[in-house]
Amino acid sequence: MTMPVTLSAAVEPDEQVSLWRDAWHRLRANRLAVFGLCIVVILVFVAVAGPWISPYDFLSQDLEATNQGPSMAHWFGTDDLGRDVLSRVIYGARTALLVAVVVTGIALAIGVTLGAIAGYVGGRVDAVIMWVTDMVMSVPSLLLVVVINTSLKPPLSAFMDARYLATHNPIWRQTIWIDFVLVFGSMALILWPPYARLVRAQVLSIRNRNYVTAARALGLTPGLILRRYVVPNALGPVIVAVSAGLGTAMVLESAFSFLGVGVRPPTPSWGNMISDGLRVWRTYPHLLAAPAAVLGLATVAFSFLGDGLNDALNPRQWRK
Amino acid sequence: MTDPLLSVRDLAVEVSTRRGPARVVDGVSFHIGRGEALGVVGESGCGKSITTLALLGLLPPGARVAGGSARMEGKDLLTLSRRALREVRGGRIGMIFQDPMTSFNPVLKIGDQLIEPLIYHRGMLRREAWARAGELLRLVGIPGGASRLDNYPHELSGGMRQRVMIAMGLACEPPLLIADEPTTALDVTIQAQIVDLVKDLRARLGMSIIWITHDLALVSGLVDRVIVLYAGKIVEEAPVDDLYARPTHPYTQGLLASLPTLEGEETRRLPAIGGTPPDPGRRPAGCPFAPRCPLRVARCESEMPPLVAVAGGPHRAACWVNAKPQELAA
Ligand SMILES: Nc1ncnc2c1ncn2[C@@H]1O[C@H](COP(=O)(O)OP(=O)(O)O)[C@@H](O)[C@H]1O
Ligand SMILES: [Mg+2]
Repeated sequence: MTMPVTLSAAVEPDEQVSLWRDAWHRLRANRLAVFGLCIVVILVFVAVAGPWISPYDFLSQDLEATNQGPSMAHWFGTDDLGRDVLSRVIYGARTALLVAVVVTGIALAIGVTLGAIAGYVGGRVDAVIMWVTDMVMSVPSLLLVVVINTSLKPPLSAFMDARYLATHNPIWRQTIWIDFVLVFGSMALILWPPYARLVRAQVLSIRNRNYVTAARALGLTPGLILRRYVVPNALGPVIVAVSAGLGTAMVLESAFSFLGVGVRPPTPSWGNMISDGLRVWRTYPHLLAAPAAVLGLATVAFSFLGDGLNDALNPRQWRK
Repeated sequence: MTDPLLSVRDLAVEVSTRRGPARVVDGVSFHIGRGEALGVVGESGCGKSITTLALLGLLPPGARVAGGSARMEGKDLLTLSRRALREVRGGRIGMIFQDPMTSFNPVLKIGDQLIEPLIYHRGMLRREAWARAGELLRLVGIPGGASRLDNYPHELSGGMRQRVMIAMGLACEPPLLIADEPTTALDVTIQAQIVDLVKDLRARLGMSIIWITHDLALVSGLVDRVIVLYAGKIVEEAPVDDLYARPTHPYTQGLLASLPTLEGEETRRLPAIGGTPPDPGRRPAGCPFAPRCPLRVARCESEMPPLVAVAGGPHRAACWVNAKPQELAA
């Protein structure tokens, strides 16, 4: 059996304009997404370059100039200890972004692993994992974090103090890490279930899609099918969820700091600043306005970016 | 007959149901010669898809082969290793699915999907495969040919996508093409075009075809022979003209009677068979068609009739009443 070869002109393979390149074009056409992306880029830049661009040391106090309103010297004014609010907002961005990235990363790792196992293995394993997921989701998250922090922090501090007394190794004095580990850990603990559910649902639905069967009917290997057929189709919603999740994690970090279970002062955190600002907002509104506005902006930006990514990564919604 | 290309014996497939395993394909035997086109007909749920999916090891979760053999080119497809099976899929047997809308990866250009089997089975370089894919699109009559390789699936109409799927199934020039209701999801005019295309491709390429359908009329000009499936069993098998001239099993008669007939301007559907096929888990002991059969006799409900030759020809049917095995045996 031979096929008639009626080829006249060789067909050039278009250099691989990938899904991602196309998605990027779509993203750029979406104004809200571009706005979100810009804010996110600025946020990342500010967080990374913080020490070089912040006009003052975030700790340096000027007791001659406390609670000043915005001025040329202090764009966002100064707080009750005469610290420059802009510098503190900038350093707060570092905290917020660090928390958001690390926490989302941990939550994503847990969620993707458990979700993929549940979706792929199915049966009892699935039932158990989903049961745990539902349980974690049903516990009020703030309550969980407060319980973890208040019950674990004292014994852990005591343990480290004891180690220090026994060994005199300065490592054990670094108690600031307890804050971070506990804050990160407990936040990741409450944030992973949605990722697990999402990934499980994705794996379940894509595993039996017709195009996966069609790819198998062409004799493609499981690895290739996973890479080219399952993963790209599963990715869209996960990327969207991560983008929105980064915003959520930032809000959560602020909420914890606000409640006094987040990162401890003097580490600058938007939540701490909002909490402090709230007490004096009638007299010094800028102390509340600056961190609150920045937090709001960051959250909105992540959410717009997430929506934009959703549209850009889903070719079925593409319009020519 | 010379050595058939594919020879299926006593194929049985079980699916697990809440009431335990159910045989959805039960002792199906058929063969297909080189270059021959076989139609597989039956109502939805009769086991047509499962039969062909079993051949390629593509059964859905919960379904498994419970017996039988399927010999092709010296190998039993049902016992091949995963690796050997992958060589058969796409390489020796091309498959076309029912729904052209959902059978393409939405995030890959059709060119990228078309070249995969060429790269995998033929060891072609991407560039070579891309050129070949362009030819294939021309072969299946897609206007614009190679320029469509850069399109995403959603940018093509259903009929065009079905053409692409045919190109994909034929990419590696497999000796056997299985088409599972490839026109069911398409408009009537497009259906005829697809049938004509396959007819034309068959004439040019000479591959064997298994064409699954519930619409006998559509493929009467395409296939040489037809097997009629009911509730996982073959109830009749005949050359297509014979089947039209002398449908023997009451189920086949019902199927033919329910085809639209042209009477002047008016297209009219004759009364179809009443009722529906039995659930796989609750099939009667005897002939599965007995509960719906107008000619039913007592024996039908207790004993499954064997598939026997009708009038001595290649025409066979399984019916106590119409095929009269005891008389024919004499
Ligand atoms: N994934 C599945 N799990 C359980 N039963 C199935 C599955 N797929 C098909 N079946 C059963 O197998 C029988 C045959 O199905 P199928 O081969 O798809 O029918 P057809 O293609 O003739 O319409 C049907 O009764 C259906 O209920
Ligand atoms: Mg079917």
